[in-house]
Amino acid sequence: MSLSDLVLSIADNKQMLGLRYAEWATRAPSLEADIAAAAMGLDDLGHSRVLYGCLEPLGEDPRTPDRESDPASLRALPYFDEPWSEWGQFVAANAILDTAFTVMIEACVNGSVEVLQHRLRKMLMEERYHFLHGRSWLKSGISAEPLNRAWREAIEWFGPPDGDTAQLHADGRLSLGPKELAARLQERLETKAPEVKIDWKKWDPVRRRGRPGAIDERTFEMLRGLEEKRYAAQSKEA
Amino acid sequence: MTTNYKRVSGDAVEYEVFARKTRAEPLHQVGSVVAPDDDLAAAYARATYDEERWIEMTIVRKDHVIALWKPGETSET
Repeated sequence: MSLSDLVLSIADNKQMLGLRYAEWATRAPSLEADIAAAAMGLDDLGHSRVLYGCLEPLGEDPRTPDRESDPASLRALPYFDEPWSEWGQFVAANAILDTAFTVMIEACVNGSVEVLQHRLRKMLMEERYHFLHGRSWLKSGISAEPLNRAWREAIEWFGPPDGDTAQLHADGRLSLGPKELAARLQERLETKAPEVKIDWKKWDPVRRRGRPGAIDERTFEMLRGLEEKRYAAQSKEA
Repeated sequence: MTTNYKRVSGDAVEYEVFARKTRAEPLHQVGSVVAPDDDLAAAYARATYDEERWIEMTIVRKDHVIALWKPGETSET
């Protein structure tokens, strides 16, 4: 897997994170949390656009036409496959997965690839507020299930000890390898990750996930613009 | 559901949000947020009031503001 594959994975995950955040813009526990969910959703959707825009300057765009027809061709984590039904799922994603993506972006910014150094830096400033939001809610306590799941998927996403992330780190293109990324994530969140046993033989190196599956049909249709078309056709008939 | 969710990191308090667009103008109040701690208040203030191009934004707990006099009172009262 190349650096472009990794950047596409960050982009797809941030796109899905942004969409899932936005779904909570009217369901969060307070008006302030509603607004924060909407703002963080917009941030992450914007970040995904910047990341997609980095693929061409990186010299390789791994996106294939099947992204239009096959939801399993998108590279988001299983955590985003279905809409979240509980606030605890939002908090675990906000605190752990969003911060995991941020430490990977830091590794890109502090690595040797110029286009990533320049284009991704601003994201880190915006992500500071996502982090404060996630960490504060995390301190208030959530159930173990989404927490453990988010930790597992974050560590899986960083990749195996001898995989592409480790190689990109060895080449200097990333400033951190999988072990350092996991350590940085725990340090940032001031907590220790639960014991996670990962069977790397079952891990998909392209989608950076240990489980098959794909995002739900409605979300996929929305990403493809089909939901919008449905409304446009109705307005023409009216 | 979210209605059963209980915050345990402290009671929510009100924070006043101040901002300015240029160095020449003083900070002025642009609104307020309610949050249980400073971190969340900062995140909420940024999310709620970041629509304009502020060069500076700051928050302060409302109960840390010392009122000298209020509407209807004078400095002599």
